[in-house]
Amino acid sequence: MLRRRPDANALVLNAVSSRGDGSRNNMAAPLKVDYGFDTEDLESSAKIVKFAIFKKHQEQDAAQEHEVASFEETMLPHMDAAHNLAKWLLRNEEDARDVVQEAYLRAFKSFSGFHGSNGRAWLLTIVRNTSYTLLKKNRAVDLTTTFDEEIHTSGQESVSPATVLEHSENAELIKEAMDELPAEFREILVLRHLEGLSYKEIADIAQLAPGTVMSRLARARAKLKEYLAARIGKDNR
Amino acid sequence: MNCEEAINLMDGYMDGELDPITNQEIERHLRDCRACEQAYAAQRALVRTIAGGAVPYYKAPAELRQRIQSSLRDGIADRPARTAVARDSQVLFRRRWPELRTILLGTPWNWLGLAGLGLAAAIIFAAIIFSNLAPMVRRPAADQFLATQLIASHVRSLMANHLTDVASSDQHTVKPWLDAKLDFAPAVVDLASEGFPLLGGRLDYLDNRTVAALVYQRRKHFINVFTWPAESGTTGTTKTMTRQGYQLLHWVDSDINYWAVSDVSEADLQAFKKVFEDRTARH
Repeated sequence: MLRRRPDANALVLNAVSSRGDGSRNNMAAPLKVDYGFDTEDLESSAKIVKFAIFKKHQEQDAAQEHEVASFEETMLPHMDAAHNLAKWLLRNEEDARDVVQEAYLRAFKSFSGFHGSNGRAWLLTIVRNTSYTLLKKNRAVDLTTTFDEEIHTSGQESVSPATVLEHSENAELIKEAMDELPAEFREILVLRHLEGLSYKEIADIAQLAPGTVMSRLARARAKLKEYLAARIGKDNR
Repeated sequence: MNCEEAINLMDGYMDGELDPITNQEIERHLRDCRACEQAYAAQRALVRTIAGGAVPYYKAPAELRQRIQSSLRDGIADRPARTAVARDSQVLFRRRWPELRTILLGTPWNWLGLAGLGLAAAIIFAAIIFSNLAPMVRRPAADQFLATQLIASHVRSLMANHLTDVASSDQHTVKPWLDAKLDFAPAVVDLASEGFPLLGGRLDYLDNRTVAALVYQRRKHFINVFTWPAESGTTGTTKTMTRQGYQLLHWVDSDINYWAVSDVSEADLQAFKKVFEDRTARH
């Protein structure tokens, strides 16, 4: 295969000489230069191709390294928030880590499309969606669709304020009760009270209509009080 | 404002998400209504406990941070930009065309005279020949480049403690794992009985695509077998190469490329190829 190049040169020279002797000397030189490398030296042309590929890779690697760096700068500070939400949603450390890692890779893939300023809300949206995908795949029982009726039938007034106040500082009890809540309620309490996000941000992350954030938070808190009361009842028995 | 309205808006009031007028109305109601005031106080105490650190805030462990940072860098190789390289190297040749024209136009016309037409024809002729030859120039370079990549992959797999993604001598574990991650189904056979035990498989990136790497052992040596779909009609092709002391053996079977890379002797590698082919044919 390599041997064929001299033939090509011969053809080129023949073609050039067909123009007539007068112009041959003048024109042959620029014609060679036009290819950007010595056409007679096959080795060097192969080297040039290799070098071009190498150079291209180098440039791409540099560009991508830069992209990774700017992504990390924007997104790594929110890893605690991402992990916290995933852990509360999945209630399992291994799953939480997997979800956070996958969410970061997904975020990186669509990072060029992210022009917002709220990196934390954007990342938490991805973490939430990834977590729910996993919860649904595992057919987690806590994705209840019936909690709406439950909460409405077992009215919140059944828990007296005095009881709630009495146990409002029992951290262990509250943690256990919160862990038992349906995922939608755990999520909104975490976003509001552990991340301190606004209703607007919560609406974006949990994909809720802005007007329904307050009512869902109200239902989550009511349910939490109900679970607390149930636990207090158990403890006293 | 009555109690029911106040209870409904209490959460928004507590979170400071209501408009000032509604805020004032609730404040007034809470001053006047002891029941609602108690309910509000209880709820606020509860929420303060939650927000005040009573429930755990699960910080990300350092291990996860490292895992994500390294997976972001691994992810670079899978991104589409890489595949553009092969196309760009062709552009290197084509890009010369406009410059040819500039030189033609920049040359005084009295030089060209009647020969001008002949020159144009000659240049076009030369260019056609050249563009036909360009792929041939590229070919050996591409093969060399692939060989370099293969050896680099092989060496890296031994060096970086990343020999296998899925470590198992059971072909029924390795194959499904690879199938799930690739757009083709590589043949996986355990050749322990022939003296080439299967150690596992992993994903790798070669020749601008994701490929499967199967890892076999020969005494103290490792054999990496890289496989990916070949162009149709290349079945039967074989190639051997020796570079930097490594043996490379290439064959195409059922439109799948195989590149075995190892530091075992050529005879051993040929023997490996034979048993591998025998076993895959039986499967």
